[in-house]
Amino acid sequence: MIPDRIIEQGTLVVDGRRARVEVRIPWYRALPGSCIAGAGLTIDGVTAPTDSLRWRMNDAEYTFDELRTITDEWWFPTDSAVLSGDLQIDAHAEHEVRVDLTLYIPYIIISDTETLHIEEHDIKNMTAVAA
Amino acid sequence: MTLRQAHAPGTPIQGVTLYSFTRAFHGREYDLEGLIRKVAAEGYGPGLEIIGFSSFRGFPEIDDRFAGEFRDLVAETDLVTTSLAVNADIGIHRDRLLDQDELIAYMTRQIEAAAKLGFPIARVQISIEPDSMERLAPIAEKHGVTLALEVHADQYASHPRILALRDRFEKVESPFLGFTMDWGATVSGFAPSLIEAYRRRGASEELLGKVVELWDEFYEAGPPADQGEHGQRFGRFIQLGAQNGRPDLGIDFGINGTGLFGPARVDDWLEIVPWIRHVHGKFFGIDESGEEPSVPVRDLIRLLVENGYSGAVSSEYEGWHWNHWQSPFEIIAAEQAVQRSAAQDAGSRMITDAAEARSVLANHLPHALLKETNA
Repeated sequence: MIPDRIIEQGTLVVDGRRARVEVRIPWYRALPGSCIAGAGLTIDGVTAPTDSLRWRMNDAEYTFDELRTITDEWWFPTDSAVLSGDLQIDAHAEHEVRVDLTLYIPYIIISDTETLHIEEHDIKNMTAVAA
Repeated sequence: MTLRQAHAPGTPIQGVTLYSFTRAFHGREYDLEGLIRKVAAEGYGPGLEIIGFSSFRGFPEIDDRFAGEFRDLVAETDLVTTSLAVNADIGIHRDRLLDQDELIAYMTRQIEAAAKLGFPIARVQISIEPDSMERLAPIAEKHGVTLALEVHADQYASHPRILALRDRFEKVESPFLGFTMDWGATVSGFAPSLIEAYRRRGASEELLGKVVELWDEFYEAGPPADQGEHGQRFGRFIQLGAQNGRPDLGIDFGINGTGLFGPARVDDWLEIVPWIRHVHGKFFGIDESGEEPSVPVRDLIRLLVENGYSGAVSSEYEGWHWNHWQSPFEIIAAEQAVQRSAAQDAGSRMITDAAEARSVLANHLPHALLKETNA
């Protein structure tokens, strides 16, 4: 698929004690919020606490727990979502950004009760800007 | 190769699915309108297939204004909408699978979208079982949309699940139920362009040789008898990566080696050929001699011609997953040239004129196109 495009180059923003980056779907078709099962945000080797992560798409912000039941908002293939989390990093400095994504593929059923999920990641270096 | 010839020679309609251009669309090089105009301008049509959830924002909700603009664009560019690829998202809820009533409702919305956008066929997938197909038949008929269930690796025409569907179609006797033939079920070799991609990721020549050897072993054995054997083959590819110092590549070998490169023989399609309503001309690359090295395109076109098939063939280029070093546009043009040459060799031709394509498609799907303004 398209894991090389998960992180949008040049979109790392520092906002107080939080950092955010724009991410693209590594899949060919839109997926609903319920299929965005998890993410990781790691900058310079430090991973944001899971409970601090937020996902913004279609002008709304969600926790990953909230996404579980969202079946009427879709991550479209040409849209950027925004992943943010608690991470204190320096603006105007170069950073290594890693994003991990777990996505459920809702039409590929691999057993009577199980849906295929894929795990993808991307790593890019970029300079942060202040919000 | 001589295959059963029970009809006047078919005249398949040339076409393309926008899925072939996924990286260009996803990379924002072309928006939907730009891509449709490119397909028309460069002669990849006249047949046009689109994946609903890939190309239409908000799908399956399609408002009247958008539907009108889309139909106007198709008319202006002189293309012919063939198939809308829809999805049975049975696993859309994280904690449970859709029940049958929910699935029927989910598919009905997409069938309505296909009608509204002017697609005579909706491509559906294997997760829809015979009972659901039977329940969907009157809904398909109401909207004038033929449901063509895709036969895709790791299944193949004579797979028990496909034969069960065929038998149900025969019993139901609805002209609105049929199959989409995906050429990936009948591949003749592990795609060389994917081998090259692994090489660029640092895989050794020794390992690459073993990958090809393992796939060839499965080809000799024929397609897997059931899901259990399919799983065993998947495991063999994973082992191969692990045993050769590249565990990171093992799952990729398995996904592609079993899910994209199906090892059934071309004449396996004869099991379902009367029910083929649409074709995915799946392929992975073109070699220096201008041929597809791992998909028997010429034999597949001959089979279609000899069995009187005059529906659409959507060129479906899947090499974009791994081939980042070549333009998909040139590769697809080259594959369509192979199709045209093969049709001529088989004593027929591919339809490339839009008006003729509309007429041929109307004869291929007479039950559906009677409801041309079926929105």
